[in-house]
Amino acid sequence: MSPRLLTRRVHRVVRPAGGGPARKMNERMVDRMFWRAGFGPTEADRKRWTGKSASSLVEFMLSTPQRLVGTAATRSDGTPLQPHASDTDMVTEWIDRMVRSENPLVERLTFFWHRHLATRRSDVSPPQLMTIQNSLFRRFADFGSNPNATYTDLMFQVGEDPAMLRFLTGEDNRVKRVNENYAREVMELFCLGVTDAAGTPNYSEDDVRELAKAVSGWQINEDDPNNAFGYFTENRWEPGPKTVLGRTANFKHRDAVEVVMQHRSHAPFLITKLWHEFIVTPADSATQADLERTYLRGGRKLRPLLERILTHPLMFESLLEPNMVKSPVVFAAGLMRQLGLSIVDDRIARSLVTLEQEPYDPPTVAGWEGGLTWLNTNSTLGRFDLAQRLLTDTRITPQDVDGEAPAAAVDRAHTAVGRPWMAPGTRAALVAYATRAPVTRSRDREIRQRALRAFMLGGPDGQVM
Amino acid sequence: MSEAPFEHLHPDDAERIAVSCADCARSDSAADELTPVDHMPIPVEALAGFPDGVPQVTRHNRRNFLRNGAVGVAAVYGASRIDWMRAFEAGVAEGAPANSQLVMIFLNGGMDGLDVLIPHEAGEYAAYQTARPGLGRPIGPATGTASGSVALAGTGGAFGLATPVLAGANNNDATGGLDTLWGDGSGGVGSDLALFPAVDYTPPNLSHFDSRRYWFTGSLENEQTGWLGRWLDTYGSKENPLQAVSISGSVSRQIVTRGAPVAAIRGLGNVGFQLTGASSSQVDPTGEIGTLSGVLAAPANDALNRSRTSYGQTVDVARKVAGITQGAAPPGYPANNSLSQRLQTAAALLGAGIGTRIVTIDWGSFDTHGNQRAALDPQLRVLSAALAAFRDDLTARGIEQNVLTVVFSEFGRRIKENSSGTDHGAAGLVWVMGSAVRGGMRGDHPGVAKPDNRGNLQVTTDFRSVYQSLIAEWLGGDPGQILKGSPFPAISGALLG
Repeated sequence: MSPRLLTRRVHRVVRPAGGGPARKMNERMVDRMFWRAGFGPTEADRKRWTGKSASSLVEFMLSTPQRLVGTAATRSDGTPLQPHASDTDMVTEWIDRMVRSENPLVERLTFFWHRHLATRRSDVSPPQLMTIQNSLFRRFADFGSNPNATYTDLMFQVGEDPAMLRFLTGEDNRVKRVNENYAREVMELFCLGVTDAAGTPNYSEDDVRELAKAVSGWQINEDDPNNAFGYFTENRWEPGPKTVLGRTANFKHRDAVEVVMQHRSHAPFLITKLWHEFIVTPADSATQADLERTYLRGGRKLRPLLERILTHPLMFESLLEPNMVKSPVVFAAGLMRQLGLSIVDDRIARSLVTLEQEPYDPPTVAGWEGGLTWLNTNSTLGRFDLAQRLLTDTRITPQDVDGEAPAAAVDRAHTAVGRPWMAPGTRAALVAYATRAPVTRSRDREIRQRALRAFMLGGPDGQVM
Repeated sequence: MSEAPFEHLHPDDAERIAVSCADCARSDSAADELTPVDHMPIPVEALAGFPDGVPQVTRHNRRNFLRNGAVGVAAVYGASRIDWMRAFEAGVAEGAPANSQLVMIFLNGGMDGLDVLIPHEAGEYAAYQTARPGLGRPIGPATGTASGSVALAGTGGAFGLATPVLAGANNNDATGGLDTLWGDGSGGVGSDLALFPAVDYTPPNLSHFDSRRYWFTGSLENEQTGWLGRWLDTYGSKENPLQAVSISGSVSRQIVTRGAPVAAIRGLGNVGFQLTGASSSQVDPTGEIGTLSGVLAAPANDALNRSRTSYGQTVDVARKVAGITQGAAPPGYPANNSLSQRLQTAAALLGAGIGTRIVTIDWGSFDTHGNQRAALDPQLRVLSAALAAFRDDLTARGIEQNVLTVVFSEFGRRIKENSSGTDHGAAGLVWVMGSAVRGGMRGDHPGVAKPDNRGNLQVTTDFRSVYQSLIAEWLGGDPGQILKGSPFPAISGALLG
């Protein structure tokens, strides 16, 4: 191949597929939307949306209230999950929602808020506080039910949320005993970042201390754990003027956090993070400016911002060779959808411990680092192992086909696992394996079929979306 | 939660931090660094005897080997075993002084050094008591359930180590601990623990994430590679990913390199890809994945390149690690503990003769904003006992003299306590252990009574001064090549001795 041709080929691979949101989607585009804004497509999703426009799918995702379809998850003995009695069940219950959501964006965005405003079960008891917070996040992800949800309200409510008050020790933050924990993260992780894009600090240590005073005085009422709530006690609050980011007043929680969100770095900070949830290539400056305008003019409304991002042509970049790593949760929930399986045990929840993305238990208040770092010499083993174990499920035992040609065996395996993306070179290597593999006994043929499926789902190509 | 079948370690550390991996820097940077990793399958049996003996060629060995790899693998092995040996030895030898290995233990969350090393001098102790009316430890041995602080011998005379870290102080199960390593604190024989009481940088940054990045990258600038990663790029092997290993699910940012291979290993045994119910005559999943990992992706596709490279490295590492066995656990390691397990894995790797120079371990949950006494002391007890057991383990393997262990955290904590804990502070405690080190109090204590303008301990030792000594005296090489802004003020006296 001449250098010129090589350049052209590469160029085509990484370039946006072209066409705006009005363009009719082919199957690859439908797959892309469901992986990036959900947990992968089912065959029904493909049927419903292929040939429709991206904007109509985005409209669906932004206006359809949460509804679960299919068979609810159970424990391995067939009994219902008990999320408040077992942390494993709590995780399984959430993964089940991801697998069964008709509108996948709701759970995908709920999970984004959990990663952004991270709280950890191992530091938060009783467990009900975690599910109460989970419901809070879902209200800011289900725009069919809450079309006017704003980031402002999310910040206000999460600052008074029992799980957050416990995790970042806000409940200990009181007059003369100021605890900076939550205030620091409001600045650093939730609203601004340490510096702006040019490297200028967004706030000082004094701002952290002053904000901490303003947000003091909150406690948790957990008399009824199922209805726990945060409440404010005036005499636990640090009174007097506070200077936060140059503004001085006798701030309380919401006033002071509003000041933080008025910082020039807030919109770029939040938008950049949200953008990269869905798109790899950074937004150009015009797009970034447009997104900031949309967010700020809309009074920090989330729906219009998400609509702008999800209908951006870059959603379809590098369609021929997907260019984003699946997080463990997206990978695991995606496997169930690819295989058409309902959850009947705790395998997914347990595997997420190994894959180091256990929902409700992020490693730090910054959530999970993610991105490319998801893949390393351990997670590759864990991902392959999860895929191959799910493939031993007797509900999907391969049919025995004697005399099946290698290429036909590869195609059958591909269909059985939901036709995931696979590079031509990968397919060729799998045909070569299928040609080498013994097929004399039916047991040999079953292993060949299962191995092919495991390589497709748990091998290198199965990790990108 | 219960653990998945092939997992060896409990994920019981509350603050496992997500850190960056080997080729982040590669992925972030220019396209000319995107060449695929060069795979060099190595016969498993060769490792058991390496470097002392030449691997025996058995029929099983040969078949296994041929099955594992493509034609190229057989060629290397069949054409000349010497070539493989030479390549591998070269990888080991590239690191200058061969017998120096470094273990970096990162205490996650900002460990409160002031709750470990207590100032005993009268004025200082009074200031300490004023700042810590709730948390302050009494002078003297623990009594009943109350902790204490026992004065150190020799150079540490003005300070006491908190009793949870002391042997024979009622609460360390008489297993030996840091006090045993301290010895007489003279720096002579048997004084194998060096304490630096206030290490950090100025001005201190109280963010976990920024401060970790600084410590891990060895720079206050926006450096992509780790400080040890740059050492590996400059002085390490170009081929041996086991030269630097994070005992973890992911590679520590400390060893993130621009090009040199490194690895993350959670534990030993059960390596490689396996298909339930399949026999080796039916399918070799590791070999097939090795082939799939070699499919080329467009250079600009970082995600797909990362995936295929990671799978390829897993295959490489699996083939090498398959030859190492853990051996029986020596006594003294705290039972059922993830730090114990990680240290045992580290000891096995360091003693296997496979060119491992650097091991990183992240452990613990030291962000003690609240409930500090209950959160910190149990961890200190484990840390002290596990480190002492690690030393015994290394000694039994005959390599203790080759290993330096450095323990550090991203910052110390505020001098003044809050309601039941301490907020983020500055100037943390660093200790270096090993018979090679000159033990004793190796840095100045800044004084509790003389805080900085934010109520934190003042920094007396720049963290890069410690790194500088580790490079110059231990790992080998020119610190100026590795640490931007060097030279940093030298620590007082040689690190070793």
